[in-house]
This record gives sequence, C-alpha cells and structure tokens, in this order.
Amino acid sequence: MTALLEIRGLSAGLQGRRSVTQVVSEVDLDVEAGEILGVVGESGCGKSTLATAIMRLLTPPQVLQSGSINLRLRDGKSVDLLALSDTALRQLRWRHFSYIPQGSMNSLNPVLRVGRQMMDTLIQHGLSSDEALARSLEALELVNLEPKLLESYPHELSGGMRQRVIIAAAVSLQPALIVADELTTALDVVTQRQILQELAGIRDELGATIILITHDMGVVAQIADRVAVMYAGKIAELGTVNDIFEAPRHPYSQGLIGSIPRESGQRVEGLPGEAPSPWNYPAGCRFHPRCPKIFEPCSEQAPLLLAQEPDRWTSCHLYDAEVAADA
Amino acid sequence: MPDLLVVEKLRQVFGGRNQTFAVDDVSFRIPAEPTIVSLVGESGSGKSTIARIILGLLKPTAGRVLYDGADIFSPGREWNRKFRSEVQAVFQDPYSVYNPVYRAERVLKLVIRKFRLAKTKAEAQALMDEALRAVDLRPEEVLDRHPHQLSGGQRQRLMLARVYLMRPRFIVADEPVSMIDAGMRASFLNILLDFRDRHGISTLFITHDLSTAMYLGGEIIVLYQGRIMEQGATQSVMKAPMHPYAQLLISSIPTPDPRQRWEEDLSAAPLAEIGEIGEVGAFGAASASNRGRCLFANRCPQVMDRCWRARPALQAPYEADKSAAEREVACYLYD
Repeated sequence: MTALLEIRGLSAGLQGRRSVTQVVSEVDLDVEAGEILGVVGESGCGKSTLATAIMRLLTPPQVLQSGSINLRLRDGKSVDLLALSDTALRQLRWRHFSYIPQGSMNSLNPVLRVGRQMMDTLIQHGLSSDEALARSLEALELVNLEPKLLESYPHELSGGMRQRVIIAAAVSLQPALIVADELTTALDVVTQRQILQELAGIRDELGATIILITHDMGVVAQIADRVAVMYAGKIAELGTVNDIFEAPRHPYSQGLIGSIPRESGQRVEGLPGEAPSPWNYPAGCRFHPRCPKIFEPCSEQAPLLLAQEPDRWTSCHLYDAEVAADA
Repeated sequence: MPDLLVVEKLRQVFGGRNQTFAVDDVSFRIPAEPTIVSLVGESGSGKSTIARIILGLLKPTAGRVLYDGADIFSPGREWNRKFRSEVQAVFQDPYSVYNPVYRAERVLKLVIRKFRLAKTKAEAQALMDEALRAVDLRPEEVLDRHPHQLSGGQRQRLMLARVYLMRPRFIVADEPVSMIDAGMRASFLNILLDFRDRHGISTLFITHDLSTAMYLGGEIIVLYQGRIMEQGATQSVMKAPMHPYAQLLISSIPTPDPRQRWEEDLSAAPLAEIGEIGEVGAFGAASASNRGRCLFANRCPQVMDRCWRARPALQAPYEADKSAAEREVACYLYD
C-alpha cells in the first residue's frame, strides 16, 4: 500500500538579505491513509513551518528550498503539491486537503454571520447555494453544533464553538487530509477533550487522515496513532504512539518524555540546555550539544532517519549499526 | 504564629448594569509552614483576579486579605516595605516584564540596589551568581544578553532568580509555565519545590494546567466561575474528586500515557451540558440573576432541585471517609 502523503527531502527556510537560513531540513515522512499523526516538538523546532510547507502556504520571508510532496488523490493518481500551479492547487484545496492554522478560531469575520462565511467558501468551490447549505449543515453536525448556529455572529460564540466552526468549514468538502496546527491550545481542558474526540470521530466517519501539530504531549498520547518528534528542523524519531511513549529511542525523545511532570513526589528532570535557533543549528547531529549519550561521530556527521524495524524510525548514530560499529 | 495568608469572603464585582461576580465570596488560608497551594480553574474562573487582589494590585469589592496577620491594604511605608519585599510575583508572560532596552542583568541589579542587599560591587556580583545558580542558569549565558536573546524558559527562570534574591516568604505565580516548553517545565517546577524545601518559601501557584498542579502536590483549590467548588490535599483530590465539576475537569486532563486514554466519549454530549451554551459575551460567570444557585447546576449530570434554589456552602463532606480528610466541597450531594 502506498501512503496518502509522501514527503521527500523537504527543506524550507527564511530568506535573508544574502542567504537563506534553513528552518526545516530534509524531512522525509510518509503519512498513511486514515491515521492521526502527531507532530511534536518544542517551540521553534520547525513544526509549524513544516505544516505550512506541506500545505504550500509559506509566506515571505519563508521560502521553500527543495523537496516533493506527493498526495494520492481519490482517483488513485498522485500529484506533487510543490509542482502544481496555483490554479491547480486551488482546485485541490478543501476538496482533497485542508489546513487549520494556529489561532484560526480568531480568524472569522466579525461582521458576517457564521453561515455566510461557511457557505461563501463552498460556493467559491463551485457548489450551488443549496448544496453549500446542505454541506454546511452536515459539517456542523459532525462537530456537534446546532443548525441555528449558522445565523450567529462569531462574537456570540464561545472559543470552543468558534474552533468547531473552523473545523466544520475545513471538513465540509470532505478532504482526505487535514493538517491542524495547535488546534486546542487556547481552550479549556473539557472543551479540548471534546474537540479532540470530535476530531477522532471525523477521522472515523470520513476516513480522513489527520496531521496534528502540537507541543502538548498529553494531547498526542490521547489521540495520535503515530508520533513524529521534531528537533531543530528535523525529525528525530518516528513511531507508534505506544513505542514513543513507552520506549523512546532518540535521546531527545527520551528527555522530552522523561521530563513530563506526572505524579507528585516523583521528581523528573527538565532537559538541560536550550534548543538552538535556525541561525545556529549545530553541525553534525543537531542535538549533540545537549545529548547525554554523545560519542565520536555526533559532532561531525549528521545522522540519517533510519528504520530499525517496520514503523520505527530514529535519527541517531546509536541506532545506526554501521556508524556505531566504526566508533 | 499567624497564617501566612488568609483570604476572607473575597468578592470582586465588575460592570455597572450587568454585574459580573468575577470572584464571589472566596475564602481560604495558607498556613505559616512552607507549602505550595495550587489555584486551578478554566479561563474566566477568577483565578487571576484573586492573584491581583492578593498582590495588592486590585482592591476587592468586598472581603479582605490578611498577610502575616495584617490587612494587605494597611497604610504606612513600613508595612509597604515589608509586604513588597516578602511577597513576590511571577507572571505568565516572561517577556513583557522586561524592559527590552536593557540587558538582563538589570532586573537583578535593580533589586539589589533598591533593597540595599549588597554594600560592594563584588558582593552584588556574588549575590547574582548565587541566585542564578539556584535557578540553574549560568551567569555568562544570560547576564549580558537582552531579553529577546533569551528563551522563554531562561526569562522565566531569571524572574525566579530575582525572586530568590529577595528571599521572600511567599510567591504568587500566575500561570508561570504556560509559555515554557515542555522540556523546561519540570526544571521550573523543581525550583519552586526547592524553594519550599530548602528556603522555606511558600507559593500560590495559579494555573489552568492540572498536570502541573498534580506534580507540585501540596494543596489544591478548584475554582469555577468565581467560586471554590472543592479544596483539599492535591493528591487526594486528583485521585478521587468529589464535586461533579472537579470530576469532569480532572477526567478531561490529557494524560501523557497512550494506555490511559479517555474512556467516555464526550463528543456526543449536548453542548449545553458541558457549558457551551453560547451565553453571549460572558463565560457564564455569576451574575445578579444566577447567584442564588449552584453555578454548575446547568452542566451537572447529578443536578437536584435544591441546586437551583440555593447556593451550596463550601464545607466538609457529610460522613466523610478518611480518604477525604480535610476536604471541603460546595455540593449538596455531600450535604
């Protein structure tokens, strides 16, 4: 089976006056149909840049440097999102993939009713107003909102309801892929739990694939099937949610999982040091200055993201038999 | 020895015609012994308002706050000096408290000068080095930098270094870790634990993140719409919450363990039951019209007639079993 989304060698950066500073480097990632993939990392690790690059929504000074992103369409054909023209891309957007950016619950137009805003987008995509209404109502039902909400203005809704409207709009054309960035960050825990459970329901009902970008390890543990741990613009480790949480391999994932505060009375240690910014990514393995298990090749040679077992990828020399044997 | 802090029937009313009771008769105390008390609640629960009142930044509509046995709004320079040096604040955004023009060392130097902590330059330097070591920062990494060159975690820990210099008895920390990365959070919380254990500093820790409260232990106060719903030892409340609101809140924590996922699917629950009924503008806080009832009644799965008729008092549960020792709950189920 081929993956729904195949990302190869994706690099993106920030355009400076003379040169480009790379933020996301050489990301290879397969996303399987119907899965919820959590992408986690500390702030500044490039996870949002990765998301916008996948959606081809980088805005200057962000620039795409290289790579390909192949999305399998419903008819089985594959397209490279990065090679498409803007017009062709616009036709795929919302029908085949949708993006819910960070803070988008605050992006509704305050002077227009919710229904008008949802339907306008659908009409733009060629639906008649009757079809648009029907689709909007279906979508609202998916996120547990009542039809009468179409008549409301955004300020009349709570944060959780506005976030639901955004989700409803994003899924109204039943896209195969949804990328959501910090979907529940600004919400209370009860609302967060509900919305995440609704999202899982949408996956089940529409068979959609979801990439969930978040800094919250709890959220990932609750609803992701697989997890990609990002550090300094690269994927450090990729695996099933159980593997990542129970037996993380990359020293960074180990530190990250180990630093989660749990029970009282059981002290955990934070990760020492600071994550580097794109202007001073270290040579070799980007984690080596903070790594407790550093050995010879780490400061010179960048490790590759390699599969140790099916569905278990780690970018660390410790798990690269050849490098470990040499050292 | 008087209690460190006594909060008595605190009330804060905002607005003119449509009054909102942001804090509605809240009372609690923090004992003189070093301890950490977490004040938890969702947005709009009044937790930051309580923090501002305790810090003396806001005068409450009614009620009073005693620090070390005296009203915090007592007049006099002497009192002001004592209160300002013994009670320190740490706020949510570790960036906005710095003046971007100056180097980071200034936040430490100002304190040393204002409170005359050192006589000589060398003494001042030694004090700064000690304070930075106490919060796991290396002086050469932070002192010469400008605020924007520091990470959120560094900025927040520098605030703790400043607090440490003052040797306060009491820290009020309002959402101090919400802008710090996961990997750094534990370090920050550990510093607060060390402050308590090694230096006898108590903390009022205000947060919406229950997992950090759980880690800190101590006591917990659960707020809902300006009222205390339940309070007690953090561990026992977390393990067996009694108030239906506390139960909903605690069961909704995203536990960072994929083998302990949420059991019940809340996504099918009608929104009215979980509080999202789109009450225009307000978060559904107490107002003149709904004050005379349990504010959770409209969301409560176990609601009874009397919940709508009168406000339940915060009291020890009737026939409390031993696990609920020293617990107080504002719910008729335990009346």
